[in-house]
Amino acid sequence: MKEEMLDCLGEACPVPLVKAQKKLEELEIGDILIVQIDHSCAMKNLPEWAREAGHNVEIEEVDDGEWEVVIEKAK
Amino acid sequence: MLKKFSEAVAANDYYKAWLKDAWPYITAAVLLSLFQIVTMAVTGSPWGVAATLANWGAWLFQGVGGSVDKWYYFSSDAAQAVLARGPLQDPGTLRNAGIIGGALVSTLIASGFKIKKIKSWRQVAAAVLGGLLMGYGARIGFGCNIGALFSGISSLSLSGWVYGVFMFFGAVVGSKLLVKYFM
Repeated sequence: MKEEMLDCLGEACPVPLVKAQKKLEELEIGDILIVQIDHSCAMKNLPEWAREAGHNVEIEEVDDGEWEVVIEKAK
Repeated sequence: MLKKFSEAVAANDYYKAWLKDAWPYITAAVLLSLFQIVTMAVTGSPWGVAATLANWGAWLFQGVGGSVDKWYYFSSDAAQAVLARGPLQDPGTLRNAGIIGGALVSTLIASGFKIKKIKSWRQVAAAVLGGLLMGYGARIGFGCNIGALFSGISSLSLSGWVYGVFMFFGAVVGSKLLVKYFM
């Protein structure tokens, strides 16, 4: 069970989504990927994609305009 | 007291659904359609964004003593009349100012405002180059994705569909470049 941080602060869409997709491919089932984002549209497309792909997703609001999307790889 | 109030607001379901979280795409689509009908009815021309930016450029240039009278783009009587009326009498200017101001207010209300750091010079170069290409393209294409695509298609003009097809190819090329240089 690994936990990986992916720093996407200052990156605009769709860079956070593509980076997260690539990173998640490298991880094993049960591993956790935490994506740090500050672009509000990534707040929509990243969790939407991850849930659709069947992973467990939680969103934490870290600060004003800053979020951590916690994705547990489920398959 | 103020802290308690802001905590109560943050926990309120209506605040979350209407002001905090992003609206569903369908809600936005319906509202955009309604507002563009209002725009058409009130101002007599379809909704556009980029043409106004060219006028802003002309006003700025005139503000520092320049003249655009001889420029082909501004040479028509209609374009000269818009420039002569000035920004405060221009529906496009008021609309664009509303978009910018509204975006600021809505991020502030959602407490999502943040000044982002610049990650790399590559980002700056891409933003400047992308902005120039989009601005130039929107002028020689007689509109941006609002004026030429959205308003074109909703005015039953074939040009909107042609614009859409080529915008799709442009987006494919753009995504390839993005993955190549920004991943």
